[in-house]
Amino acid sequence: MQVLVVGLIAGSIYALIALGIALVYKATRVLNFAQAEIGTGTLYFTWWLCTRHHLPWIVGALASIAAATAIGLVFEALVIRKMMTAPRVTVTVATIGLFSFVLALELAFFAGTIYLVPPPIHPGGVRIGGVFVSWSQWLALGVVGLVALGLAAFLRYTDFGLAVQASADDPVAAQLMGTPRARISAFTWGMAGALSALAVLLIEPTVGVLSPGAFNGLFIGGLTAALVGGLNSLPGAFIGGLAVGVVEAEVKAHLSFNVIPSSNVTAMLVIVLGVLLLRPQGLLGATAGRRA
Amino acid sequence: MTMAEDAGVVVASRERTEKRRTRFWTDRQANVLVAALLFVALPLLTEHAMPKLLEQHHYFNLDVGVAMAVAAISLNLLLGYTGQISLGHAGLLAAGAFASGIMTSRWHASMVFGLLFAMVVGAAVAFVLGLPALRLSGLYLGIVTVIFGLAMQSSILRSSLLSGGSAGVPMFRRVWGSTMTTDNAVFLVVSLLLLLGVWLVDVNVVNTRLGRAFRTIRENEAVAAAFGIPVTRYKLLAFTISGAMAGLAGAMYGHTIGFVNNEKPFDSTMSLMLVIIVMVAGAGRRLAVVFAALLFWLFPSFIEGLHQWSYVLGAFLLMATVRTHPDGIADMLHHMRRPPRADADAADGEEELPALPQLPAPVRALESVVSLTDTPLLDVRGMSVRFGGLTAVDDVSLSVPAGSVVGLIGPNGAGKSTLFNAISGLVRTESGQISLRGKEIQDLRCDQRASLGIARSFQHVGLARDLSVRENFLLAQHQLAPYSDIEALLMLPRAARAEAEFRERADQAIAALGFEEMAHMPVRNLSGGQQRIVEIACLLVTAPELVLLDEPSAGMAPAAAENLAARLRDLRDALGRTVLLIEHNVPLVLDTCDYVYVLDAGRLIAEGAPAEIAANRSVIDAYFGAAV
Repeated sequence: MQVLVVGLIAGSIYALIALGIALVYKATRVLNFAQAEIGTGTLYFTWWLCTRHHLPWIVGALASIAAATAIGLVFEALVIRKMMTAPRVTVTVATIGLFSFVLALELAFFAGTIYLVPPPIHPGGVRIGGVFVSWSQWLALGVVGLVALGLAAFLRYTDFGLAVQASADDPVAAQLMGTPRARISAFTWGMAGALSALAVLLIEPTVGVLSPGAFNGLFIGGLTAALVGGLNSLPGAFIGGLAVGVVEAEVKAHLSFNVIPSSNVTAMLVIVLGVLLLRPQGLLGATAGRRA
Repeated sequence: MTMAEDAGVVVASRERTEKRRTRFWTDRQANVLVAALLFVALPLLTEHAMPKLLEQHHYFNLDVGVAMAVAAISLNLLLGYTGQISLGHAGLLAAGAFASGIMTSRWHASMVFGLLFAMVVGAAVAFVLGLPALRLSGLYLGIVTVIFGLAMQSSILRSSLLSGGSAGVPMFRRVWGSTMTTDNAVFLVVSLLLLLGVWLVDVNVVNTRLGRAFRTIRENEAVAAAFGIPVTRYKLLAFTISGAMAGLAGAMYGHTIGFVNNEKPFDSTMSLMLVIIVMVAGAGRRLAVVFAALLFWLFPSFIEGLHQWSYVLGAFLLMATVRTHPDGIADMLHHMRRPPRADADAADGEEELPALPQLPAPVRALESVVSLTDTPLLDVRGMSVRFGGLTAVDDVSLSVPAGSVVGLIGPNGAGKSTLFNAISGLVRTESGQISLRGKEIQDLRCDQRASLGIARSFQHVGLARDLSVRENFLLAQHQLAPYSDIEALLMLPRAARAEAEFRERADQAIAALGFEEMAHMPVRNLSGGQQRIVEIACLLVTAPELVLLDEPSAGMAPAAAENLAARLRDLRDALGRTVLLIEHNVPLVLDTCDYVYVLDAGRLIAEGAPAEIAANRSVIDAYFGAAV
């Protein structure tokens, strides 16, 4: 039971990354390999504000989210928008460029030392029916729930949200109907940045340290979740996140560390290969990439 | 461009052709030479035979640089030729290093076997990863490999089964028994010879059907399949070869540094750096990529503290190049030196399309040479194609007798191209039978149907546009190749002979078209009419049983389209081909076809001789609306 709950909470954070990946993929058919690295980079900003300037966590967190949103927007404006007509492979390579760039900067400035970010709320938690849930886990659950519901409502009930969906379904038709393609692209990338920072902030108390590449596991979990969900489905990404989190927690709990250390990462690889073999369109994916 | 300049370009390109013909070594001889070098030179290498030109640690850096050059060739083969991304190449390098390390330390085997084992393991791992990911079109390999790379680093390589905990594996340069070579200069010679070998294998890939298949797949999987290339198999082959090379590179790196573990030196940043090297230098350009790998690795290792910053710079360059010049710096330099020729489209209106070449028929094991029975060559019975809720082709039956030209007309969106895709195997049929000479083919893949003798053109010209005219004629002969992939990789006699034959036939075809001066131009630089005639001529080099032409007059100037009618009649009368033709240009169809089918909203609404169709009421309704 404890394992299940831990898995669900980690999974809900993976879902945030998966939502970011799915949102960008849905709107622009681009796989964003920088999805977790943007937030990792801006977490150093939080560290700097909270540790060096002794500001409250929430200020640092908001600053990180703002910075990550800005990175998403700037990258979209400088790179993605100039490549509207380029092959999607090329644009995907550009996101690998962003991933490398953020990671390279982290390595150049912060390599070798482990940085500690103060916890969001004071440690401790409550025990409900034999299951211990810490305050930061409660926080994660609450924030993820709010974000997911808010995003769903936004996409379903606002004109702009509907336009985002339409452009995902049929870019040409949507553009003929006057959907502002540039604004949609900017929105999805800004959103991707914000989701990235949020996910990193929420999982940081579990990981415990900040170092270059510390959140690779988060990226892998989110990517696996997005694939399980079908890459272009937002509800799929969410459910995929939860499923991946639970499987990962179970594998970690049952496989001995000595045989395969960090077996959860290997489990992700197995899940991905399995999904591609058996159900490449994912749980809720609309169309598969399968050829006739 | 003036006449004189024009003539200059022609002369230059002729000279280039001559140079290609009279190069010093043939493909085959170069390969034999390197094999001989490897066998003769290696046992002669000892520390005492090496001149002491540089310090040991300089040799050490060079050794690492050469290993990275091999890794870059490996990724270039995958990313540059097939356009598939691997973000976990470091994982493949690590697999090779661990394989060779275990072989030489735990099993006390010679490094020769270690290196061979590294290649086998690298290839096997790549195969297993590629099998699920490459069946699909899209960038699934990127997803799988990025997770693989991190799983290797943080989990798999730390397993006690491989390394006895996180301790890692020592990498001995064991020559034989307990004899080791510790000299870095000796190892540099070994590394350079291995680099030369990998380089030649890569050259062989490019010069045989493997490379042409890879590059066509990168551009357009449907076109590749129509030329008879099994797309999934070739993507998997590319990744497997790349995996073998990566395994070798990893083992070379490992034997240089003497010890590897899960993090050093093959961490995930190395995978990213390899992508940066290949993309920034120029994907698909071997020399540029090798040069970039050496530069990227050697420059920082001679200057203290530069390594981190070279990575920042590399990542920035990757974003910048991909955005402004996705073909990389080498391509940019190439164009600065020799500006691309303006497209010939301006002259499109006046050009005469040359007669289609009459080529000597290739030797080809056909099950049945023309049997003059009642069976039509192509017979389609009750075929339907559905996309979700939409029925694009609804219960269509048609037949094409051998030696005829049959036309298929209909308004936009009638389902003509879908019907073609279903016959050639690019879309799956919901129901119905398709038979070629009485043999049912509806369950075969596109490439299998192509090798049975169905050749097809595409509305938007089904050629590999980045390849030259000559390369496209070579590509078209894909299914005639009598050699295996291994024979191609090593350029064994059968492959060398077959390729020479292909080149001869390609040159004949080009000469027959009178396109000699365009032979080495990328197809995309040709005019619409020229591309079309090259496409049709390419279809003919394999002497197909049935030629499917999808709107050949599309994108042609009216004068050229008129000229096309004569070429289509040539197909039947002079070349004896059977043709099924989709056309929008109704006069062209009525002028050339023996029999015409009319499709509207997915259903056949009329069929008959051209004269009957021209007078048919429902055809007129379909084209001009009911109220005529």
